[in-house]
Amino acid sequence: MKRRIFIQALISAGATSLLAENTYAVRNQPSLRFLRPPAALSEDDFLSRCIRCGKCGEACPNRCIQYFDLENGLSSMDTPYIIPRNKGCILCMKCGEACPSGAIPPVAREMHSVLKDVHMGKAVVNEELCLSFQGKTCGVCYRACPLQDVAIRVGRLEQPHVLKDCVGCGLCERSCIQIPQAIRIIPNHDRGLT
Amino acid sequence: MSWTMMQRHLNKLRWLVLSLVFSLLILLPFLHLYQTYEASHAYDLLSPTEKAISDSMEWLTRPFVNDPATDLNKIKGTTWSGTLFGLKVSDPLAVVGQIAAGKLVYVPFLVTALIPIIFTIIFGRIYCGWICPATFLYELNDNLTAWLRKAGVPVSRHKLDTRLKYLVLLMGVIFSALTGTIAFAAMYPPAILGREIYYAIALSGFGAGMVFFILTLFFDIMVTRRGFCRYVCPGGALYSLLGWFRVFRIKRDVTQCNDCAKCNVICQFGLDPMRDNFSQECNNCTACIAVCPTDALSFTIAIKDQSFQGAGHLGHSHRRLQG
Repeated sequence: MKRRIFIQALISAGATSLLAENTYAVRNQPSLRFLRPPAALSEDDFLSRCIRCGKCGEACPNRCIQYFDLENGLSSMDTPYIIPRNKGCILCMKCGEACPSGAIPPVAREMHSVLKDVHMGKAVVNEELCLSFQGKTCGVCYRACPLQDVAIRVGRLEQPHVLKDCVGCGLCERSCIQIPQAIRIIPNHDRGLT
Repeated sequence: MSWTMMQRHLNKLRWLVLSLVFSLLILLPFLHLYQTYEASHAYDLLSPTEKAISDSMEWLTRPFVNDPATDLNKIKGTTWSGTLFGLKVSDPLAVVGQIAAGKLVYVPFLVTALIPIIFTIIFGRIYCGWICPATFLYELNDNLTAWLRKAGVPVSRHKLDTRLKYLVLLMGVIFSALTGTIAFAAMYPPAILGREIYYAIALSGFGAGMVFFILTLFFDIMVTRRGFCRYVCPGGALYSLLGWFRVFRIKRDVTQCNDCAKCNVICQFGLDPMRDNFSQECNNCTACIAVCPTDALSFTIAIKDQSFQGAGHLGHSHRRLQG
Protein backbone atom coordinates (compact mmCIF):
# COMPACT_ATOMS: atom_id res chain seq x y z
CA MET A 1 0.00 0.00 0.00
CA LYS A 2 1.26 3.43 -0.85
CA ARG A 3 2.14 5.55 2.12
CA ARG A 4 -0.23 8.33 1.07
CA ILE A 5 -3.19 5.95 0.80
CA PHE A 6 -2.32 4.45 4.17
CA ILE A 7 -2.20 7.88 5.82
CA GLN A 8 -5.46 8.90 4.16
CA ALA A 9 -7.11 5.72 5.42
CA LEU A 10 -5.76 6.37 8.90
CA ILE A 11 -7.10 9.92 8.96
CA SER A 12 -10.51 8.96 7.62
CA ALA A 13 -10.78 6.10 10.13
CA GLY A 14 -9.95 8.53 12.91
CA ALA A 15 -12.49 11.03 11.60
CA THR A 16 -15.29 8.45 11.40
CA SER A 17 -14.64 7.24 14.91
CA LEU A 18 -14.84 10.85 16.11
CA LEU A 19 -18.09 11.39 14.25
CA ALA A 20 -19.63 8.12 15.38
CA GLU A 21 -20.59 9.32 18.82
CA ASN A 22 -22.99 11.90 17.44
CA THR A 23 -24.70 9.83 14.79
CA TYR A 24 -28.24 8.72 15.46
CA ALA A 25 -27.73 5.19 14.18
CA VAL A 26 -24.86 4.37 16.50
CA ARG A 27 -26.60 5.74 19.59
CA ASN A 28 -29.70 3.70 18.91
CA GLN A 29 -28.29 0.28 18.21
CA PRO A 30 -30.14 -2.12 20.48
CA SER A 31 -26.88 -3.48 21.90
CA LEU A 32 -25.85 0.00 22.98
CA ARG A 33 -28.84 0.57 25.23
CA PHE A 34 -26.57 0.75 28.22
CA LEU A 35 -26.80 1.93 31.82
CA ARG A 36 -24.13 3.72 33.78
CA PRO A 37 -23.25 2.32 37.23
CA PRO A 38 -25.75 3.17 40.00
CA ALA A 39 -25.78 6.78 41.26
CA ALA A 40 -23.55 7.94 38.38
CA LEU A 41 -23.89 11.62 37.54
CA SER A 42 -25.80 12.81 34.48
CA GLU A 43 -24.09 11.82 31.25
CA ASP A 44 -22.13 15.04 30.53
CA ASP A 45 -21.02 15.48 34.14
CA PHE A 46 -20.15 11.81 34.30
CA LEU A 47 -17.90 12.01 31.25
CA SER A 48 -16.11 15.08 32.57
CA ARG A 49 -15.57 13.53 36.02
CA CYS A 50 -14.71 9.93 35.17
CA ILE A 51 -10.95 9.43 34.98
CA ARG A 52 -11.28 5.91 33.44
CA CYS A 53 -9.43 4.15 36.24
CA GLY A 54 -11.52 0.97 36.14
CA LYS A 55 -11.96 0.73 39.90
CA CYS A 56 -15.75 0.49 39.72
CA GLY A 57 -15.47 -2.70 37.71
CA GLU A 58 -12.87 -4.03 40.08
CA ALA A 59 -15.20 -3.38 43.00
CA CYS A 60 -18.24 -4.99 41.38
CA PRO A 61 -18.82 -8.44 42.93
CA ASN A 62 -21.47 -9.19 40.31
CA ARG A 63 -19.12 -8.41 37.39
CA CYS A 64 -21.87 -6.55 35.58
CA ILE A 65 -19.74 -3.45 34.90
CA GLN A 66 -17.96 -3.55 31.57
CA TYR A 67 -15.90 -0.96 29.72
CA PHE A 68 -16.42 0.67 26.35
CA ASP A 69 -13.78 0.41 23.72
CA LEU A 70 -14.53 2.59 20.69
CA GLU A 71 -18.06 1.35 20.01
CA ASN A 72 -19.77 4.32 21.69
CA GLY A 73 -17.41 6.97 20.35
CA LEU A 74 -14.14 8.39 21.60
CA SER A 75 -15.59 10.34 24.51
CA SER A 76 -17.01 7.16 26.04
CA MET A 77 -13.80 5.21 25.62
CA ASP A 78 -12.90 3.18 28.74
CA THR A 79 -15.99 4.35 30.65
CA PRO A 80 -18.07 1.81 32.59
CA TYR A 81 -21.44 0.55 31.41
CA ILE A 82 -23.99 -2.11 32.21
CA ILE A 83 -26.07 -4.02 29.65
CA PRO A 84 -29.13 -5.01 31.71
CA ARG A 85 -30.08 -7.96 29.50
CA ASN A 86 -26.63 -9.49 30.07
CA LYS A 87 -26.33 -8.76 33.75
CA GLY A 88 -28.26 -6.38 35.94
CA CYS A 89 -26.95 -4.30 38.80
CA ILE A 90 -27.52 -5.80 42.25
CA LEU A 91 -27.41 -2.34 43.88
CA CYS A 92 -24.59 -3.27 46.25
CA MET A 93 -23.29 0.32 45.84
CA LYS A 94 -19.65 -0.77 46.06
CA CYS A 95 -18.70 1.06 42.86
CA GLY A 96 -19.58 4.43 44.39
CA GLU A 97 -17.41 3.62 47.37
CA ALA A 98 -14.50 2.72 45.07
CA CYS A 99 -14.83 5.67 42.69
CA PRO A 100 -12.14 8.25 43.54
CA SER A 101 -13.27 10.97 41.15
CA GLY A 102 -16.86 11.60 42.22
CA ALA A 103 -18.26 10.42 38.87
CA ILE A 104 -20.11 7.77 40.89
CA PRO A 105 -20.81 9.42 44.26
CA PRO A 106 -20.88 7.12 47.27
CA VAL A 107 -24.39 6.16 48.34
CA ALA A 108 -25.28 4.13 51.42
CA ARG A 109 -26.84 0.74 50.76
CA GLU A 110 -30.14 1.67 52.33
CA MET A 111 -33.59 1.84 50.85
CA HIS A 112 -34.17 5.56 51.18
CA SER A 113 -30.75 6.65 49.90
CA VAL A 114 -30.89 4.23 46.96
CA LEU A 115 -34.34 5.49 46.03
CA LYS A 116 -33.18 9.09 46.34
CA ASP A 117 -29.86 8.93 44.50
CA VAL A 118 -30.01 6.06 41.99
CA HIS A 119 -31.63 6.93 38.67
CA MET A 120 -30.16 4.53 36.14
CA GLY A 121 -33.33 4.24 34.12
CA LYS A 122 -36.88 3.00 34.28
CA ALA A 123 -38.42 -0.35 33.40
CA VAL A 124 -41.08 -0.38 30.70
CA VAL A 125 -43.36 -3.36 30.12
CA ASN A 126 -44.34 -4.32 26.60
CA GLU A 127 -47.82 -5.75 27.17
CA GLU A 128 -47.89 -7.48 23.80
CA LEU A 129 -44.83 -9.55 24.68
CA CYS A 130 -45.49 -10.03 28.40
CA LEU A 131 -46.76 -13.52 29.24
CA SER A 132 -48.93 -12.34 32.14
CA PHE A 133 -50.76 -9.94 29.86
CA GLN A 134 -51.40 -12.92 27.51
CA GLY A 135 -53.11 -14.81 30.32
CA LYS A 136 -50.12 -17.01 31.23
CA THR A 137 -49.30 -16.21 34.84
CA CYS A 138 -45.56 -15.42 35.06
CA GLY A 139 -44.41 -12.75 37.55
CA VAL A 140 -40.70 -13.49 37.14
CA CYS A 141 -39.77 -9.77 36.88
CA TYR A 142 -41.55 -9.07 40.13
CA ARG A 143 -39.66 -11.91 41.88
CA ALA A 144 -36.35 -10.62 40.50
CA CYS A 145 -36.90 -7.03 41.60
CA PRO A 146 -34.81 -5.96 44.63
CA LEU A 147 -37.40 -3.27 45.42
CA GLN A 148 -40.61 -5.29 45.33
CA ASP A 149 -43.82 -3.29 45.78
CA VAL A 150 -41.72 -0.12 45.76
CA ALA A 151 -40.50 -0.24 42.17
CA ILE A 152 -42.90 -2.79 40.74
CA ARG A 153 -46.10 -4.43 41.85
CA VAL A 154 -48.22 -7.17 40.32
CA GLY A 155 -51.93 -7.18 39.63
CA ARG A 156 -54.27 -9.84 38.30
CA LEU A 157 -52.44 -12.87 36.78
CA GLU A 158 -49.15 -11.45 38.09
CA GLN A 159 -49.31 -8.65 35.52
CA PRO A 160 -46.36 -6.30 36.29
CA HIS A 161 -46.91 -2.60 36.83
CA VAL A 162 -43.79 -0.45 37.15
CA LEU A 163 -44.09 2.26 39.79
CA LYS A 164 -42.45 5.67 39.74
CA ASP A 165 -39.73 4.65 42.23
CA CYS A 166 -38.10 2.14 39.84
CA VAL A 167 -34.35 2.89 39.81
CA GLY A 168 -33.57 0.90 36.66
CA CYS A 169 -31.18 -1.73 38.01
CA GLY A 170 -32.10 -4.10 35.19
CA LEU A 171 -32.58 -7.30 37.19
CA CYS A 172 -36.12 -7.65 35.77
CA GLU A 173 -34.92 -7.35 32.19
CA ARG A 174 -32.17 -9.85 32.90
CA SER A 175 -34.65 -12.36 34.35
CA CYS A 176 -37.46 -12.00 31.80
CA ILE A 177 -38.05 -15.41 30.23
CA GLN A 178 -39.52 -14.01 27.02
CA ILE A 179 -37.34 -13.62 23.94
CA PRO A 180 -37.26 -10.79 23.08
CA GLN A 181 -37.68 -9.56 26.62
CA ALA A 182 -41.05 -8.06 27.54
CA ILE A 183 -39.63 -5.69 30.15
CA ARG A 184 -36.79 -3.31 29.29
CA ILE A 185 -34.91 -0.56 31.06
CA ILE A 186 -35.03 2.79 29.28
CA PRO A 187 -31.83 4.51 30.44
CA ASN A 188 -31.95 7.90 32.09
CA HIS A 189 -29.43 10.18 30.49
CA ASP A 190 -30.17 13.03 32.88
CA ARG A 191 -29.86 10.68 35.86
CA GLY A 192 -27.94 11.71 38.95
CA LEU A 193 -28.30 13.50 42.23
CA THR A 194 -31.27 15.84 42.16
CA MET B 1 28.99 1.22 54.43
CA SER B 2 28.53 4.92 53.90
CA TRP B 3 25.49 6.55 52.31
CA THR B 4 27.49 7.51 49.21
CA MET B 5 28.55 3.90 48.76
CA MET B 6 25.01 2.63 49.21
CA GLN B 7 23.73 4.88 46.45
CA ARG B 8 25.38 2.57 43.93
CA HIS B 9 22.72 0.00 44.78
CA LEU B 10 19.72 2.31 44.42
CA ASN B 11 19.29 1.24 40.81
CA LYS B 12 18.76 -2.37 41.90
CA LEU B 13 16.28 -1.24 44.52
CA ARG B 14 14.50 0.78 41.83
CA TRP B 15 14.19 -2.27 39.60
CA LEU B 16 12.80 -4.20 42.53
CA VAL B 17 10.15 -1.51 43.06
CA LEU B 18 9.31 -1.32 39.35
CA SER B 19 8.93 -5.09 39.10
CA LEU B 20 6.85 -5.15 42.26
CA VAL B 21 4.46 -2.48 40.94
CA PHE B 22 4.17 -4.23 37.59
CA SER B 23 3.53 -7.64 39.10
CA LEU B 24 0.92 -6.11 41.41
CA LEU B 25 -0.86 -4.73 38.34
CA ILE B 26 -1.03 -8.28 37.01
CA LEU B 27 -1.91 -9.87 40.36
CA LEU B 28 -4.75 -7.49 41.31
CA PRO B 29 -7.12 -8.46 38.43
CA PHE B 30 -6.63 -12.13 39.36
CA LEU B 31 -7.45 -11.30 42.99
CA HIS B 32 -10.54 -9.45 41.77
CA LEU B 33 -11.62 -12.56 39.85
CA TYR B 34 -11.03 -14.69 42.94
CA GLN B 35 -13.20 -12.30 44.97
CA THR B 36 -16.05 -12.56 42.48
CA TYR B 37 -15.81 -16.37 42.49
CA GLU B 38 -16.02 -16.28 46.27
CA ALA B 39 -18.95 -13.86 46.15
CA SER B 40 -20.89 -16.09 43.76
CA HIS B 41 -20.52 -19.20 45.99
CA ALA B 42 -20.22 -21.40 42.91
CA TYR B 43 -16.84 -23.09 43.04
CA ASP B 44 -18.23 -26.30 41.54
CA LEU B 45 -19.53 -24.43 38.51
CA LEU B 46 -16.21 -22.79 37.60
CA SER B 47 -14.37 -23.84 34.47
CA PRO B 48 -11.00 -25.60 34.95
CA THR B 49 -9.12 -22.34 34.22
CA GLU B 50 -11.26 -20.41 36.67
CA LYS B 51 -10.72 -23.13 39.26
CA ALA B 52 -6.97 -22.85 38.76
CA ILE B 53 -7.15 -19.08 39.26
CA SER B 54 -9.33 -19.47 42.33
CA ASP B 55 -7.08 -22.14 43.88
CA SER B 56 -3.82 -20.33 43.23
CA MET B 57 -5.16 -17.01 44.53
CA GLU B 58 -6.53 -18.73 47.61
CA TRP B 59 -3.13 -20.33 48.21
CA LEU B 60 -1.39 -16.96 47.73
CA THR B 61 -3.64 -14.95 50.02
CA ARG B 62 -4.54 -17.47 52.71
CA PRO B 63 -1.77 -16.39 55.12
CA PHE B 64 -2.90 -12.75 55.02
CA VAL B 65 -6.65 -12.90 54.65
CA ASN B 66 -9.58 -14.10 56.69
CA ASP B 67 -12.43 -12.99 54.49
CA PRO B 68 -11.39 -12.45 50.86
CA ALA B 69 -14.54 -10.47 50.05
CA THR B 70 -13.56 -7.59 52.33
CA ASP B 71 -9.89 -8.05 53.23
CA LEU B 72 -8.70 -8.08 49.62
CA ASN B 73 -10.30 -4.67 49.06
CA LYS B 74 -7.38 -3.07 50.87
CA ILE B 75 -5.16 -2.99 47.79
CA LYS B 76 -7.02 -2.14 44.59
CA GLY B 77 -6.71 -0.23 41.38
CA THR B 78 -3.76 0.92 39.33
CA THR B 79 -1.12 3.62 39.47
CA TRP B 80 -3.60 5.96 37.75
CA SER B 81 -5.80 5.73 40.81
CA GLY B 82 -5.54 3.10 43.47
CA THR B 83 -6.32 2.18 47.05
CA LEU B 84 -3.46 1.31 49.38
CA PHE B 85 -4.62 0.00 52.76
CA GLY B 86 -7.68 2.20 52.67
CA LEU B 87 -5.82 5.26 51.45
CA LYS B 88 -6.89 6.46 48.00
CA VAL B 89 -3.97 7.69 45.90
CA SER B 90 -4.45 9.23 42.46
CA ASP B 91 -2.21 10.53 39.74
CA PRO B 92 -1.90 14.36 39.75
CA LEU B 93 -2.43 14.30 35.99
CA ALA B 94 -5.89 12.79 36.55
CA VAL B 95 -6.74 15.71 38.83
CA VAL B 96 -5.47 18.26 36.28
CA GLY B 97 -7.51 16.51 33.59
CA GLN B 98 -10.64 16.48 35.72
CA ILE B 99 -10.33 20.15 36.60
CA ALA B 100 -9.90 20.99 32.92
CA ALA B 101 -12.76 18.78 31.73
CA GLY B 102 -15.28 19.57 34.45
CA LYS B 103 -14.18 23.17 35.05
CA LEU B 104 -14.50 22.61 38.77
CA VAL B 105 -12.31 21.40 41.60
CA TYR B 106 -13.66 18.30 43.31
CA VAL B 107 -11.81 18.49 46.62
CA PRO B 108 -12.05 14.82 47.78
CA PHE B 109 -10.37 13.80 44.52
CA LEU B 110 -7.74 16.54 44.76
CA VAL B 111 -6.85 15.27 48.24
CA THR B 112 -6.08 11.80 46.87
CA ALA B 113 -3.34 13.34 44.70
CA LEU B 114 -1.65 15.22 47.55
CA ILE B 115 0.89 12.53 48.47
CA PRO B 116 2.18 12.16 44.88
CA ILE B 117 2.27 15.95 44.49
CA ILE B 118 4.36 16.38 47.65
CA PHE B 119 6.73 13.59 46.61
CA THR B 120 7.11 15.15 43.17
CA ILE B 121 7.88 18.58 44.61
CA ILE B 122 10.63 17.04 46.74
CA PHE B 123 12.07 14.43 44.34
CA GLY B 124 11.07 15.63 40.85
CA ARG B 125 10.12 12.99 38.32
CA ILE B 126 10.49 10.14 40.82
CA TYR B 127 7.22 8.58 39.67
CA CYS B 128 8.65 8.26 36.15
CA GLY B 129 11.73 6.39 37.28
CA TRP B 130 10.55 4.37 40.24
CA ILE B 131 6.86 3.52 39.92
CA CYS B 132 5.45 4.01 36.42
CA PRO B 133 4.52 0.58 34.98
CA ALA B 134 5.17 1.91 31.48
CA THR B 135 8.75 2.79 32.47
CA PHE B 136 9.24 -0.88 33.35
CA LEU B 137 8.38 -1.86 29.78
CA TYR B 138 10.06 1.15 28.16
CA GLU B 139 13.37 0.33 29.84
CA LEU B 140 13.13 -3.29 28.72
CA ASN B 141 12.25 -1.93 25.28
CA ASP B 142 15.40 0.18 25.40
CA ASN B 143 17.47 -2.95 26.07
CA LEU B 144 15.72 -4.61 23.13
CA THR B 145 16.64 -1.60 21.00
CA ALA B 146 20.28 -2.04 22.00
CA TRP B 147 20.16 -5.71 20.96
CA LEU B 148 18.50 -4.82 17.68
CA ARG B 149 21.22 -2.29 17.07
CA LYS B 150 23.90 -4.90 17.71
CA ALA B 151 22.12 -7.29 15.34
CA GLY B 152 22.38 -4.68 12.63
CA VAL B 153 18.81 -3.40 12.61
CA PRO B 154 18.85 0.34 11.97
CA VAL B 155 17.49 2.20 15.00
CA SER B 156 17.57 5.96 15.23
CA ARG B 157 18.24 8.36 18.01
CA HIS B 158 16.94 11.66 16.75
CA LYS B 159 17.08 14.61 19.08
CA LEU B 160 13.82 16.48 19.46
CA ASP B 161 12.92 19.41 21.68
CA THR B 162 12.08 18.30 25.21
CA ARG B 163 9.69 21.24 25.50
CA LEU B 164 7.37 19.38 23.12
CA LYS B 165 5.80 17.54 26.05
CA TYR B 166 4.75 20.78 27.72
CA LEU B 167 2.90 21.60 24.52
CA VAL B 168 1.26 18.15 24.68
CA LEU B 169 0.22 18.85 28.30
CA LEU B 170 -1.22 22.23 27.30
CA MET B 171 -3.04 20.78 24.28
CA GLY B 172 -4.41 18.01 26.51
CA VAL B 173 -5.78 20.56 28.98
CA ILE B 174 -7.36 22.60 26.18
CA PHE B 175 -8.77 19.50 24.48
CA SER B 176 -10.20 18.24 27.80
CA ALA B 177 -11.82 21.61 28.45
CA LEU B 178 -13.32 21.76 24.95
CA THR B 179 -14.68 18.20 24.82
CA GLY B 180 -15.58 17.79 28.48
CA THR B 181 -13.77 14.45 28.73
CA ILE B 182 -10.39 13.71 30.29
CA ALA B 183 -8.17 13.36 27.24
CA PHE B 184 -5.11 12.33 29.27
CA ALA B 185 -6.72 9.01 30.20
CA ALA B 186 -6.41 7.89 26.59
CA MET B 187 -2.83 9.03 25.96
CA TYR B 188 -0.99 8.46 29.23
CA PRO B 189 0.86 5.10 29.09
CA PRO B 190 0.71 4.08 32.79
CA ALA B 191 -3.05 4.72 32.87
CA ILE B 192 -3.53 2.79 29.63
CA LEU B 193 -1.34 -0.06 30.78
CA GLY B 194 -3.01 -0.53 34.17
CA ARG B 195 -6.42 -0.54 32.54
CA GLU B 196 -5.51 -2.80 29.64
CA ILE B 197 -3.91 -5.40 31.90
CA TYR B 198 -7.15 -5.44 33.89
CA TYR B 199 -9.24 -5.77 30.70
CA ALA B 200 -7.05 -8.57 29.42
CA ILE B 201 -7.21 -10.63 32.61
CA ALA B 202 -10.65 -9.93 34.06
CA LEU B 203 -12.71 -8.82 31.06
CA SER B 204 -12.79 -9.50 27.36
CA GLY B 205 -9.20 -8.72 26.36
CA PHE B 206 -6.99 -5.86 25.23
CA GLY B 207 -8.70 -2.78 23.81
CA ALA B 208 -7.69 0.12 21.60
CA GLY B 209 -5.40 1.56 24.27
CA MET B 210 -2.98 -1.33 23.84
CA VAL B 211 -2.59 -0.46 20.16
CA PHE B 212 -1.58 3.05 21.18
CA PHE B 213 0.88 1.72 23.75
CA ILE B 214 2.53 -0.64 21.24
CA LEU B 215 2.86 2.28 18.83
CA THR B 216 4.75 4.20 21.53
CA LEU B 217 7.13 1.23 21.87
CA PHE B 218 7.83 1.42 18.14
CA PHE B 219 8.26 5.18 18.44
CA ASP B 220 10.98 4.59 21.02
CA ILE B 221 12.74 2.05 18.80
CA MET B 222 12.48 3.79 15.48
CA VAL B 223 12.48 7.51 16.23
CA THR B 224 14.31 8.31 19.43
CA ARG B 225 15.51 6.67 22.63
CA ARG B 226 12.81 6.71 25.36
CA GLY B 227 11.10 9.21 23.07
CA PHE B 228 7.62 9.03 24.55
CA CYS B 229 8.76 9.76 28.12
CA ARG B 230 11.11 12.53 27.08
CA TYR B 231 9.16 14.33 24.39
CA VAL B 232 5.47 13.41 24.51
CA CYS B 233 4.28 12.21 27.92
CA PRO B 234 1.94 14.79 29.50
CA GLY B 235 2.50 13.22 32.93
CA GLY B 236 6.25 13.62 32.57
CA ALA B 237 5.68 17.25 31.63
CA LEU B 238 3.53 17.84 34.71
CA TYR B 239 6.08 16.22 37.04
CA SER B 240 8.92 18.17 35.45
CA LEU B 241 7.00 21.34 36.21
CA LEU B 242 6.07 20.27 39.75
CA GLY B 243 9.64 19.21 40.43
CA TRP B 244 11.22 22.37 39.05
CA PHE B 245 12.61 23.25 42.50
CA ARG B 246 13.08 19.70 43.70
CA VAL B 247 15.31 19.30 46.73
CA PHE B 248 17.11 16.06 45.86
CA ARG B 249 19.41 16.22 42.88
CA ILE B 250 22.23 14.08 41.56
CA LYS B 251 25.49 16.00 41.62
CA ARG B 252 28.87 15.32 40.08
CA ASP B 253 31.92 15.55 42.31
CA VAL B 254 34.41 17.10 39.91
CA THR B 255 37.42 15.94 41.95
CA GLN B 256 36.33 12.29 41.56
CA CYS B 257 35.22 12.39 37.91
CA ASN B 258 37.52 10.93 35.24
CA ASP B 259 35.44 12.00 32.21
CA CYS B 260 34.82 8.41 31.13
CA ALA B 261 31.30 9.35 29.88
CA LYS B 262 29.75 6.05 31.00
CA CYS B 263 27.01 8.08 32.68
CA ASN B 264 26.13 9.83 29.43
CA VAL B 265 25.92 6.53 27.58
CA ILE B 266 23.70 4.84 30.17
CA CYS B 267 21.32 7.78 30.65
CA GLN B 268 18.20 6.77 28.75
CA PHE B 269 16.87 10.31 28.95
CA GLY B 270 19.84 11.57 26.97
CA LEU B 271 21.04 13.90 29.73
CA ASP B 272 24.66 14.91 30.22
CA PRO B 273 25.74 14.03 33.78
CA MET B 274 29.41 14.32 32.79
CA ARG B 275 28.92 18.03 32.17
CA ASP B 276 26.64 18.55 35.19
CA ASN B 277 23.58 18.79 33.00
CA PHE B 278 20.67 16.98 34.69
CA SER B 279 17.92 19.61 34.39
CA GLN B 280 14.32 19.00 35.40
CA GLU B 281 14.21 16.03 33.02
CA CYS B 282 16.13 13.70 35.36
CA ASN B 283 13.82 10.96 36.63
CA ASN B 284 16.13 9.88 39.48
CA CYS B 285 16.68 6.48 37.89
CA THR B 286 20.21 6.42 39.44
CA ALA B 287 21.63 4.36 36.56
CA CYS B 288 24.46 6.90 36.24
CA ILE B 289 25.33 6.55 39.93
CA ALA B 290 25.44 2.77 39.58
CA VAL B 291 27.65 2.82 36.49
CA CYS B 292 30.15 5.46 37.65
CA PRO B 293 33.52 3.72 38.20
CA THR B 294 34.88 6.42 40.51
CA ASP B 295 31.80 7.16 42.65
CA ALA B 296 31.72 10.74 41.42
CA LEU B 297 27.93 10.96 41.27
CA SER B 298 25.65 11.08 44.31
CA PHE B 299 22.43 12.60 45.58
CA THR B 300 22.73 15.96 47.28
CA ILE B 301 20.28 18.43 48.72
CA ALA B 302 20.11 21.46 46.45
CA ILE B 303 17.38 23.63 44.98
CA LYS B 304 19.27 24.43 41.78
CA ASP B 305 21.43 22.43 39.42
CA GLN B 306 25.19 22.85 39.56
CA SER B 307 26.55 24.76 36.56
CA PHE B 308 29.33 23.10 34.55
CA GLN B 309 32.36 22.59 36.78
CA GLY B 310 34.88 21.84 34.02
CA ALA B 311 36.67 18.63 33.18
CA GLY B 312 36.90 15.90 35.79
CA HIS B 313 40.07 16.08 37.85
CA LEU B 314 40.93 12.42 37.23
CA GLY B 315 40.51 12.78 33.46
CA HIS B 316 43.13 13.30 30.75
CA SER B 317 42.18 16.83 29.70
CA HIS B 318 42.30 18.21 33.22
CA ARG B 319 45.69 16.66 33.92
CA ARG B 320 47.03 17.97 30.62
CA LEU B 321 45.92 21.47 31.58
CA GLN B 322 47.60 21.10 34.95
CA GLY B 323 50.78 20.26 32.96
